[in-house]
Amino acid sequence: MVGLSLGEQHFIQGGIAQDLRCDGRKRLAYRPISVETGVIPQANGSARVRMGATDVIASVKAELGKPSLLQPNKGKVSIYIDCSSTAEPAFEGRGGDELSAELSTALQRCLLGGKSGAGAGIDLSSLVVIDGKICWDLYIDGLVVSSDGNLLDALGAAIKAALSNTGIPRVHVAAGASSDEKPELDVSDEEFLQFDTSSVPVIITLTKVGKHYIVDATSEEESQMSSAVSISVNRQRSICGITKRGGAGLDPSIILDMISVAQHVSEQLINKLDSEIASAEAGDDES
Amino acid sequence: MEYVSPEGLRLDGRRPMEMRQIRAEIGAVSKADGSAVFEMGNTKVIAAVYGPRQVQNKSQQMNDQALVRCEYSMANFSTGDRMRKPKGDRRSTEISLVIRQTMEACILTHLMPHSQIDIFVQVLQADGGTRSACINAATLALADAGIPMRDLVTSCSAGYLNSTPLLDLNYVEDSAGGADVTLGILPKLDKVTLLQMDSKLPIDILENVMQLAIEGCKAVANYIREILLENTKQLEYRRGV
Repeated sequence: MVGLSLGEQHFIQGGIAQDLRCDGRKRLAYRPISVETGVIPQANGSARVRMGATDVIASVKAELGKPSLLQPNKGKVSIYIDCSSTAEPAFEGRGGDELSAELSTALQRCLLGGKSGAGAGIDLSSLVVIDGKICWDLYIDGLVVSSDGNLLDALGAAIKAALSNTGIPRVHVAAGASSDEKPELDVSDEEFLQFDTSSVPVIITLTKVGKHYIVDATSEEESQMSSAVSISVNRQRSICGITKRGGAGLDPSIILDMISVAQHVSEQLINKLDSEIASAEAGDDES
Repeated sequence: MEYVSPEGLRLDGRRPMEMRQIRAEIGAVSKADGSAVFEMGNTKVIAAVYGPRQVQNKSQQMNDQALVRCEYSMANFSTGDRMRKPKGDRRSTEISLVIRQTMEACILTHLMPHSQIDIFVQVLQADGGTRSACINAATLALADAGIPMRDLVTSCSAGYLNSTPLLDLNYVEDSAGGADVTLGILPKLDKVTLLQMDSKLPIDILENVMQLAIEGCKAVANYIREILLENTKQLEYRRGV
């Protein structure tokens, strides 16, 4: 919970109206982003992303499973977010569950596409080992360690970084097994497949405060918002998913306006993230 | 299975009386009043302290001392096999209790009546000795928050496998079925505040194992003191004193 006095509230709103926020940023500027990959050695891929005081960790674990009957030629990906009580005392016990569920579904919507798996940022068919029988199940777990607003964008960035850090072991299927028997598998511990993460979208949350909207709101700014729209945009500038939060209604024309702003901002964010991920990976290889 | 090779080396290449590498960092969660990361080998935990602050649940308020609360949770990805966690299962409730009691014993609670101190520990990676790592992290976080304490509690585990006392068990050694002694001490006052053991041990061997764990705790205490001193020096430097 953020407790702000009336004066502070006016100060934040006034700053946003004048395009100069409390920390000196403009309305469409992000806080400095730092990316660290490979933070969880037990996972197939992991990353930690910090945006100002917001700190999140994402990890990817792959397990062999069975594809669903409806989509025998696709692997399964699930996203779970957990809000640690270290981030906010209010998350203690079951207190963080509601926010966790909200973030998980928003991320699923933004990154995984529709129910059929079409439009997903990850190529699901690359996860199949044997059609209709064996596929990789990807479990993406996010953990909010410290929260200072804009969790969705940070988690989206962390998942993107974790996926590009992920290596899925190559599986050799023993030839000659008949079709109805359980095939013999040999999971290699040396050869790994890397994902193509260039089509994984980033999430841009535009928070509306007063008449204007801002990106990368801190928790103080979020407490003043009337509504927020999270838009996921990929490198081709196409929209992959939209979620609206907050109570106040938005004019449809403003939403379209926000989308075009998000497309514009996404380009900078994707470039910034890609270079951060590349330098994190390079640093990882050295150590 | 052989846990100590004839050359006297353990599975991860350590000597029986050797600890895993420890690393600590203060101020990992910038919004908290105090926070720390503590690593013992592959075990990595984050602790955050909020308080002393107003008691949230008035019925728990105490007029003569502070209320100390603790929550321990494990991240889904912390273990080798991914777990879908039921938050607040029995194990974490028990560990929360252990950490709370241990920390309560060293916090000068009578100085802060009508207030509450929250300690949250989050396990990022579990590889044996999470209890000890959590207590060490909590100590650092409490110190970072500037909460008055009698002493820095530190903790370390020791075990007994292949008729050798081993310091600071990792997950494989921990699940080997031998005795596992987790000890917490107040190093300056030389008092034991936490002692847990499972499995059985002859009493004369227990003495050796405990002695070993105490040595481990003292080594951790020295390290924590160094980290705190370093942190304080940096704060001083930033102030320009």
